[in-house]
Amino acid sequence: MKKEEFNNHEYKYGFTTEIENFKAPKGLSEETIKFISKIKKEPPWMLEWRLKAFARLKALKEPNWQKPKYPKIDYQNLYYYSAPKSMKEKPKSLHEVDPKLIETYNKLGIPLNEQKRLSGVAVDAVFDSVSVATTFKGELDKKGIIFCPISEAIQKHPDLVKKYLGSVIPISDHYFATLNSAVFTDGSFVYIPPNTRCPMELSTYFRINASETGQFERTLIIADKGSYVSYLEGCTAPMRDENQLHAANVELVALDDAEIKYSTVQNWYPGDKDGVGGIYNFVTKRGACRGKNSKISWTQVETGSAITWKYPSCILQGDNSVGEFYSIAITNNFQKADTGTKMIHLGKNTKSKIISKGISAGKADNTYRGLVDIGSKALNSRNYTQCDSLLMGNKCGAHTIPYIKNKNSSSTVEHEATTSKINEDQLFYCNQRGLNQEEAVSLIVNGFCKEVLQQLPMEFAVEAQKLVSISLEGSVG
Amino acid sequence: MEQLFNINLKKISSSKEEEADRQKNLNSFLETGLPNKKDENWKFTDLNQIIKGNFKNIINNHESSFDKKIQLIEDFEHNSIILVNGFYKSSDIKFEEKEKVKIEKFNLSEEIIEHPNNNLYCLNKALTIGGFKIEIKENYKCKKPIIIYNYFNSNLENKIINNSNKIKINKNSNLTLIEYNIDENSKFIKNTFENLELEDNSIFKSFTIQKTKSKGYFYKSILGSQGNNSSYHNFILSSGLKFNKVDIEMNLIREKSNCFILSGLGLGKNEHQEIKTQINHLAPNCRSYQKIKNVLEGDSNGVYQGKIFVKDIAQKTDAYQLSKALILNNKAEFNAKPELEIYADDVKCSHGSTSGSVDEDAIHYLMTRGIELKKAKKLLINGFLSEIFENIPEEKIKALLEKSIEEQIDGI
Repeated sequence: MKKEEFNNHEYKYGFTTEIENFKAPKGLSEETIKFISKIKKEPPWMLEWRLKAFARLKALKEPNWQKPKYPKIDYQNLYYYSAPKSMKEKPKSLHEVDPKLIETYNKLGIPLNEQKRLSGVAVDAVFDSVSVATTFKGELDKKGIIFCPISEAIQKHPDLVKKYLGSVIPISDHYFATLNSAVFTDGSFVYIPPNTRCPMELSTYFRINASETGQFERTLIIADKGSYVSYLEGCTAPMRDENQLHAANVELVALDDAEIKYSTVQNWYPGDKDGVGGIYNFVTKRGACRGKNSKISWTQVETGSAITWKYPSCILQGDNSVGEFYSIAITNNFQKADTGTKMIHLGKNTKSKIISKGISAGKADNTYRGLVDIGSKALNSRNYTQCDSLLMGNKCGAHTIPYIKNKNSSSTVEHEATTSKINEDQLFYCNQRGLNQEEAVSLIVNGFCKEVLQQLPMEFAVEAQKLVSISLEGSVG
Repeated sequence: MEQLFNINLKKISSSKEEEADRQKNLNSFLETGLPNKKDENWKFTDLNQIIKGNFKNIINNHESSFDKKIQLIEDFEHNSIILVNGFYKSSDIKFEEKEKVKIEKFNLSEEIIEHPNNNLYCLNKALTIGGFKIEIKENYKCKKPIIIYNYFNSNLENKIINNSNKIKINKNSNLTLIEYNIDENSKFIKNTFENLELEDNSIFKSFTIQKTKSKGYFYKSILGSQGNNSSYHNFILSSGLKFNKVDIEMNLIREKSNCFILSGLGLGKNEHQEIKTQINHLAPNCRSYQKIKNVLEGDSNGVYQGKIFVKDIAQKTDAYQLSKALILNNKAEFNAKPELEIYADDVKCSHGSTSGSVDEDAIHYLMTRGIELKKAKKLLINGFLSEIFENIPEEKIKALLEKSIEEQIDGI
């Protein structure tokens, strides 16, 4: 198939849904924050917390050290709250949800009803700023697992929220994290009680629908002692000419012997082939391995967004804790990605592993930026990092910027990186066996990414593999 | 800042205009001061803090008296250049054809290429006392290496020396240069800017050795360009300095040029060494190879910041970076930032970085063969560092380097 054809049918999630939206007044101000807080029926301490973040925000400057530069964002020209009108009164069950919304999700391929029956995935779908409905409530309730929109958690479980919200990403962390703290609208909250293994994969689906809105969701996951949870996150957005901002915060807390597995398939609208439009995906994701023997594992497949700028990190505080980061970042056309991770080793015998695969095609720029910091008290710690980049054509760029700090003699840090293009011999071999250029490239790239794809839960792995192929279509030959 | 520097420009200026020019540069330096961690190039080395913590009232040096007999290296025949406290004194090129090798004092009317974002450049421009200039004419292969004896006398306490050097190797020529630093244990700062020009088919090998432990605080910037099929080898073996940063930027502007940077350093108590490189691959078929090895004792601090830049037309680039560190003490620290910035697709670029302790299995193996722990460790460290100059064909230079490494290890 020709390049143009691919570009034309590439982004299949680019539809918009005609739903009447209920928006906050435009602009970033104390009034907007009060409005959001009021509409969410938040207790006063929450509003106070938001205002504290807002006060801090005024003193902060937008960072500018990143590789992908972008035009200045006019924060006063954004809507900070946008909800489908029918959601003003919260639905009690799926039947009460606007059928048009359900239709949107069906188009996206996450039919809540079906998924409920077939795959046993509990979905918390966030449409612009409001959680639509959460499936599979009953079964989770039985185990004492809390899985609900964070706005609900603020009302029903204030002690948990108070204790953990902002404990991993402090409100004054950096510009976008602080902005999120001030204006976040919704997101997921998960609490797994001690010694509980969450019986199913928890999942959230994010979608930006209304124009001129930013999406600021906030996710907080707490795995109490000896528990386990696997959480999936998927993202899409409609095609629009303007750039939309997505600045989410995700906080994970793992206590003693707990394990959290967090997987993301990010497929926000990347802009068209000339680089017009697309999402700015500026996300702060950070997990704290607070307890002994705890583990946090990040897996991400980043194929969308005009600019992806995020570093899912692990703070390994507990002794023997483990942090993992598996990433595939694919950039095509004018997409830009600056992503990687931070592994901060504080406890003894902590281990971390980083596998990052970057693929650039077209005129895209792909940067891996990572930090491995082994503190002087993190004795016997280990890190292994591997970042590989694949380049297609000489108009794109692949960059690797690792920061490695080792402050004690019993720890070992290993870092490896390679940059290459697709091996001609491999291509030739595939062609010989009757695969065309596109298929061959897709096969080889999937092989290149295999180490990461393997980490994804079944439901996502299939979709992600397809995404990898689709994202690169038209970039070869 | 006023308290930190107490500069007298009169003594080093030959005219009023020169003094005014120096003052201008000094003012622009004092405006921003010494670089600190906020500067990405100094991310792991807070020079401002290091200098402020160790110096007060720094004055610029203008003396170069040296009455002791200079002890030359006797291991092999060589030409020599002598500098005392940074001042060019004399040169002896008895082994070469006089009209082919031109060595002279660096003329202050000449300019060192500007480094826009490096404030130390302003400092150097304000205070430079020159240095040396070497030019090898076309089609000439130097018969013997040139050794630069860099003497620093005992009157340098709290002083700063600023040098500017230029080296040019014309077409089809060769040079081997050894910089040999000898000092008398006074605490001083040296800030050097060097320009390097390698023309087509030239080969330049450079070695830096530190004779003894020193209280010197050295910064050296090397900016160079390489012509077609030229080769640049830089061996950095300057262990023993309190502070040392070597900042190399090489531009491979023509096809098939090669750039090798190799370093083996043993760092002792309270020492800080950084190697920063930027290799710009601007033409196809070039090769660069970097290998940095550090052994860290005490509360020493080792840093490697390497960057490989590959321009879109620089296809068939082969670039490699490797940094390895042996950390022997829990107070020691090793930081690395091996960076790749690549815009061409048909390239082979890779980097590796490891840091850790001495291999316990290897120690165990040696001890079962009757070698005591301390000796076993030294053996392993020696093997670790001497890998750097394994491939040097000149036996006598290799022997000199081996001797210098051994002395370092004994100190650990």
